Amino acid sequence: MLNYIWLGLIIVGIIAALSTDFSDILSDKYRNNESIDIILSFDEGIEPSAGKMMSGTVTIDLAYLHAFYGIDIKDDRVVTYPVHMTFSSSEKAIARIPVQEDFPTLWKEMAVAQPTDDGKLAGSIKIISKRDETSYQAEFVSDPLRFIGLQRVTNDGIVGYASTAVTIAIGLIGIMALWLGVMKVAEEAGLVQAIATGLRPIMTRLFPDVPANHPAMGAMILNISANMLGLANAATPLGLKAMEELNKLNKKLGTATDAMVTFLVINTSSVQLIPATVIAIRVSAGSANPTEVIVPMILATATATIAGITAVKLLQRLPVYKKQLD
Amino acid sequence: MMTILQVISIAAIPALIVFILTYAALKGVKIYEVFVEGAKEGFQVAVRIIPYLVAMLVAIGIFRAGGAMEMLGMLVGPITNLIGMDPEVLPLAILRPLSGSGALGVMSELVTTHGPDSLIGRMASVMMGSTETTFYVMAVYFGSVSVYRTRHAIPGGLIADVVGLIAAVFVTNLFFG
Repeated sequence: MLNYIWLGLIIVGIIAALSTDFSDILSDKYRNNESIDIILSFDEGIEPSAGKMMSGTVTIDLAYLHAFYGIDIKDDRVVTYPVHMTFSSSEKAIARIPVQEDFPTLWKEMAVAQPTDDGKLAGSIKIISKRDETSYQAEFVSDPLRFIGLQRVTNDGIVGYASTAVTIAIGLIGIMALWLGVMKVAEEAGLVQAIATGLRPIMTRLFPDVPANHPAMGAMILNISANMLGLANAATPLGLKAMEELNKLNKKLGTATDAMVTFLVINTSSVQLIPATVIAIRVSAGSANPTEVIVPMILATATATIAGITAVKLLQRLPVYKKQLD
Repeated sequence: MMTILQVISIAAIPALIVFILTYAALKGVKIYEVFVEGAKEGFQVAVRIIPYLVAMLVAIGIFRAGGAMEMLGMLVGPITNLIGMDPEVLPLAILRPLSGSGALGVMSELVTTHGPDSLIGRMASVMMGSTETTFYVMAVYFGSVSVYRTRHAIPGGLIADVVGLIAAVFVTNLFFG
């Protein structure tokens, strides 16, 4: 199952990226290699010439620009943006237009997607004719853009998320060490077992394969309690401790036992009494009653947990899953 | 209500640590030694989950970066409309089991744009708390004990997610609709 879902996520993602790319190519969304009429202005007394690096401004009619890209936006402003150029002859230059607040949305998108991705729209400028002492009639051509979707998959999806995964794991080290240490102390003091005793009737029914006085029981209860209180920082290390204890009962390492799956599903459906993050966001958004969602939320998450437990209890009887334990 | 919740969530961790350590000390446990011994495992556990996390997050990353969410949205949109789910919150529903930080981003965006006390804002809030990031939790929890044959964990987790999300829509409409 996991194999197929894993492959599915990857393939669907790539197909989606490819289909966006092809529709961009077919509609020529970025008007690759087509020129846009602009007015190029310099400070007085500056003449473009080969090998010179210069700064100036480009003036563009937005109504014309949107029509050029075939975008249906009503905007009659004429805008002026700064531009940096390196002239290769007295007419032609490599141009970089730094992204501005009031940039057309498509240009912002293009600037990000370009391989240079330095907060500037890259392209070239060609001077057509002189208008007056300080300005020229000119053409701007943006650097061609192709396969943006696939690029995004490579940069954000593959490279980005691979390092995110490591960042997350490394970030866990400190808090993990702390809670595993505290857990060890609690275990030595007999606290973990004591907690388990109180909830024995429920726990033995949920986890019939785990001996009632096993340390896994206590760790699982602590994890579930931490989750309920919304203490995510404590819940994960406690949950991993519980997994480790459950794994000691595992006769076939590498394969999840019924107890492990049940415990996992309780965690993924997370009964939460204090959804601290959600409430914090609602407060900062200026809600008149930020906590009004708590009761509906508890109802929804309790439903999810009951459904999850029922589902795994039924699924574990299926021959397909039973067989994997042998 | 708010202040009680805040006090609990702020005080819970220090209180728990103090209680455990004091109790153990009174019981004669060499708390410092034992703590350090337990804490040693922290590093190994964190390092052990890296390959599982990389595998899972990269697949989810490709799925999201490629724009597959929007396509899936178009596909299931007609069904979710029927159960009273606003199309605006559909991306959140799709993202919720895949990425916690992603879902949080979408949720805060919805709450900010539509207002926290609008039906959409409330539905997004309830959905956010209705279930957890199934794939992430699975990668971390099973990864820490090197379990890769997950058996019925995925179907079970996804059933819980779907039921939780539908329940969130239903309950929100019941309370605030």
